[in-house]
Amino acid sequence: MTQPEWAAGVCAGLHAAGSRHVVYVPDNPLSHVLRILRERYPDVRTTVATREEEAFGIAAGMYLGGARPTVMLQSSGLGNSLNAVTSLLVPYRIPVLTVISMRGDTGEWNEAQVPMGRAVRAICDAIGIPHVTVETAASAAETVRLAAQTAFGTRTTGACLLPRRITVPPPPHASARA
Amino acid sequence: MTRLDATRRVVAALERLGNVPIVASLGHPTYDLYTASDRSANFYTWGSMGLASSIGLGLAMARPDLRVFVLDGDGSLLMNLGSLATIGWTRPQNLVVIVWDNQEYGTTGGQQTATAHGTDLEAAAKAVGAAPTATVKSPDALDAALARAIVEPGPWVIVAKVSESTPSAKPPLDCVAIKQRFMAAIGQTEPGTIGGSQ
Repeated sequence: MTQPEWAAGVCAGLHAAGSRHVVYVPDNPLSHVLRILRERYPDVRTTVATREEEAFGIAAGMYLGGARPTVMLQSSGLGNSLNAVTSLLVPYRIPVLTVISMRGDTGEWNEAQVPMGRAVRAICDAIGIPHVTVETAASAAETVRLAAQTAFGTRTTGACLLPRRITVPPPPHASARA
Repeated sequence: MTRLDATRRVVAALERLGNVPIVASLGHPTYDLYTASDRSANFYTWGSMGLASSIGLGLAMARPDLRVFVLDGDGSLLMNLGSLATIGWTRPQNLVVIVWDNQEYGTTGGQQTATAHGTDLEAAAKAVGAAPTATVKSPDALDAALARAIVEPGPWVIVAKVSESTPSAKPPLDCVAIKQRFMAAIGQTEPGTIGGSQ
C-alpha cells in the first residue's frame, strides 16, 4: 500500500518529538498513520480506546509515568473529550500531543460532520488548547514535531489539525482533468 | 464497612509495598483517601469523572515496574464502562482497580446508581476479560482480596460493597501541586523541556 506523505510526516514528527505511546479512536485517514506506525515504528505502542475521553485519561496516566503521549482522534470525537481536557489535562498541566483528523471542513460530504468541524478551532480557543493546522503534506512532519515540542516543553496540551484537503486524496477524475 | 474504613484498610495493606501510586476518583473517594492518609503517592482527581481507571491504566502501561492502585466509584465506573474493555484487552499485570460500590452517587446527594438495581460490576469486568476479580462485602474479605492483588498478576478488579462515609475534609492542594508531588513520589521527572537545553 502507498504511504501518503502527510501520514508518514505525522509519524516522523511525533517520533522525533519523543512520543512512544499513541492512544487513539480510529477514523479513515488516521488508518494510514496507524499502519505506518505499525510497519516502521516498532518502538511506538498504539492503544485503542473505546471513546475519546477515555483516550485522554489513559494518555494522562502515561504522562504521569514519564511518557510523552499522543492522542489521535477524529474531530467529531473532540466533543466526547471535553471534560477530560478541561478538568484533567488543562488544570493539572498535563501535556498530550493531540492529532485531530478533521471532518466537516472543505470537501465534506456528510452534513452531520459539519457543525463540530466548524466549531473545532473555536472550542480549542475557548478551553485554552493551542492548535496548528497542517497546511501541506510536505510540512506535516515539522508541524507535528514543533507542536509536540511546544506542548511538552510548556506542559500545555496542544492540537495538530489535519484538514481533509490533505488527508483525503482527490478522486481520479479530478486529477485526470488537470 | 464504610468507604472510609475500607480506604484505611487499603492504605494499611499497601504500606509494606512502600510509596506505591493510588489514583482516586473525584469527590468522596478522593476525600476519603486524603482523610485516611495524605500520602505523596496519592493522585487526587478534582474532576474528570469516570477516568480514574483510565489514568491508572495509562500509568500502569508507562511504568510496568510499579503496581498501580485505583480507587474508583460505582457511578464513576459506570460513566466509563468501556475502560474495563480496554483494561481487559491490554491486560496490564500491574493494575489493581478497586471500585467502591455504595450503589449511589454519594458525592452528589445519594441518588441511586444502576448497581442498586442489579448491575454487577464484577460480572462486567469478567465479561470483558478484566480479571482476576472479586466482590467483597466485609473488612476481612477486602483484606483477603488485597493480599492477593498485591502479589498476584492483574489486572485486578475488586468491587467492594461499602456504605457512604460522608467525608468532612478535602485535600488542600491544587491540581499542579498534586501532580508534581505525585510524580516526585514515584520517582518520575516531568518529561518536558522546561529549563531544558534551549
